[in-house]
Amino acid sequence: MIDVIIAGLETSVQDYPGRIGFWNQGFPPSGPFDSWSFRLANLLVGNAVGAAGLECQYMGPTLRFAEAAVIAVTGADMTPTLDGTPVPLWQSIPVTAGQVLKMGPAKSGTRAYVAIAGGIDTAPWLGSRSTFHKAGVGGLSGSALKKDSRIPVAYTAGTPGRSVKPECRPAFSTTKQWQIEVVPGPDDDWIDAAGQERFLTSDWKLSGKSDRTGFRLDGPQWTFTSKAYDKRPENGSEPSNIIDHGYPLGAINLAGQTPIILVSDGPSMGGFINPYTVPSAAFWKLGQSRPGDIYRFKAVSVDEAQALRRQQDALCSEASIV
Amino acid sequence: MSERVETQVPGNMWKVLVKAGDIVKAGDTLFIMEVMKTEVPHVAGIDGTVTDVRITEGEEGLEAGIVAVVIA
Amino acid sequence: MIYEKPVFKPGGDRYMLIELGDELNLALNFTANGLADAITQSRMKAVVESAPCFASLLVHYDPDLIGFADLKREMLTMIDALGPSDDIELPSRLFYFPTCYLDPWTKACVEDYSAKITPKTWDPAYVAEINGLSGPAQFVRVHSGTEYWVASLGFWPGLPFLMPLDPRSRLTAPKYNPPRTWTPQGTVGMGGAASAIYPVATPGGYQIFARTPVPIWDTERRFPEFERSICLFKPGDRIKFVPCSVEEFNEVEAEVAAGTYVYNVVGYQKFSVRQYKDWLATIDAGKRL
Repeated sequence: MIDVIIAGLETSVQDYPGRIGFWNQGFPPSGPFDSWSFRLANLLVGNAVGAAGLECQYMGPTLRFAEAAVIAVTGADMTPTLDGTPVPLWQSIPVTAGQVLKMGPAKSGTRAYVAIAGGIDTAPWLGSRSTFHKAGVGGLSGSALKKDSRIPVAYTAGTPGRSVKPECRPAFSTTKQWQIEVVPGPDDDWIDAAGQERFLTSDWKLSGKSDRTGFRLDGPQWTFTSKAYDKRPENGSEPSNIIDHGYPLGAINLAGQTPIILVSDGPSMGGFINPYTVPSAAFWKLGQSRPGDIYRFKAVSVDEAQALRRQQDALCSEASIV
Repeated sequence: MSERVETQVPGNMWKVLVKAGDIVKAGDTLFIMEVMKTEVPHVAGIDGTVTDVRITEGEEGLEAGIVAVVIA
Repeated sequence: MIYEKPVFKPGGDRYMLIELGDELNLALNFTANGLADAITQSRMKAVVESAPCFASLLVHYDPDLIGFADLKREMLTMIDALGPSDDIELPSRLFYFPTCYLDPWTKACVEDYSAKITPKTWDPAYVAEINGLSGPAQFVRVHSGTEYWVASLGFWPGLPFLMPLDPRSRLTAPKYNPPRTWTPQGTVGMGGAASAIYPVATPGGYQIFARTPVPIWDTERRFPEFERSICLFKPGDRIKFVPCSVEEFNEVEAEVAAGTYVYNVVGYQKFSVRQYKDWLATIDAGKRL
């Protein structure tokens, strides 16, 4: 068991790829926002890439390990310490019974991941241990970690001293600017040529009103083609209204003039258009960016987006570990 | 002894509870930030007098790691 | 418009949106649900899951097993194999839901939005006005005067999207811009021409005007209707909103809390598209009830 001494801002149990197969009932996949860092943490401790671990956001937790374990911390730098002594990220480390792991505010990036050899052993819910706390499902009692709760672990032996080659880790932006890949569509034909150019050449600021359900962006106006105006009344009267349709994960959903990137805990369908979609390979950048950061979007094809994802999957393997 | 209390998270300044000249004790909440719709209270680490308040209630888009309140 | 050929659009690296038309038309929803069913029956490994909506189907595929172009070909073949939607008959449960229209809770929510975000005319008055009705009272008669068809579930887990079966109850309404940050649990609302019930207190953009105390979502599965799932509805169910008073609302709410509430559900009917279309031809769709 792991005892939660300080819960952190919003720390939750997640597994990869999350809760899959229930999109038609409205369940989002949830899962780790930066699955690149998450999978590497699991590999370091000898777990399958999808084993359940912890996602820490903005301010990390303080945890006491009741039993000896091998753990790894990846992703954002929350200056982790074990009994007060700093421990390295991107490396598997031994923990003896009773030791306390303390993680503070993120100094770079936003989300850190803690993997334990054997994986977290909460009861799966609809096939996944991922937490969707807004609906109270999954994880530890359907919510983010609370003070004094206990996290069950199915401990196995792990090997300390393994580390991820530096070139195989995601490289966080140090300039507060990020280039985010997008695939045009499904509804890019609702945006006129000037609007498409404006979207792809402007700075978009990540708003503070952002969380795991959606990333709100501040930026210029959108302008539309006739599809947005010459439509039957049941589509709704605003240009970005459409008859309710399914939302791809990562869709940039245009609610009026407000673009909201639909992320891990977001809605599965609704009545606004999605002119662009962030592909799975770019999700880690969203997950590690902070309110106030600037996004510049780069259009890529479906094929290019799929190639990026395959490259990232290849990095989430034993080949990246020394 | 003095303390420079920094913002722990990037986000909005939801409430500022002190002004220059206020006497505070260790543990008193100085200001509350908001990120991901969660309140993040920031407390004084020492007893003392607030000498400087560099943030304003309602400010949005603050960075983490900036000096918000100084106690002497 | 019902598209002659479905339109296939990419959603990032793993999704395909198949659009069957751009209007609210039951035939399109039958095809969407029929295709979803056919994909499940085929056990295609390359498709991870699919989610039908009013006039479209979202397909989540595995790019390691199939490319976009090949998936498009497969889907076209399946759609052709479905045949005409007129032949479809589906078992269809009918739920009667006591519903408090023009209730104080949604009114307070709209007032909160007006005070904090942007001024707003009370939703039932607004929807009545833009649809040429005489006021909230006629709006209640029109909205509650039809059975609603559960076309899909989504936006929030278990949230049903509902189409009025009687065209004389068709209404339209724009969505909130910007959306609300909260909605009372059990709220009944509408956006575009669809109605919905909010299973829990989520943000939302629909015009809101009523509230039902009957749970449509139950993680504890306290009632027999939730034996197989924590979501009450399936596509193909129907709902009749039965107007009730605040007092009746409170009584039902107490029964739900005590676990003694019994769902009023008619479980022996089949919905026939052909018979439905025959009936449509006999009514004057332009005349309000």
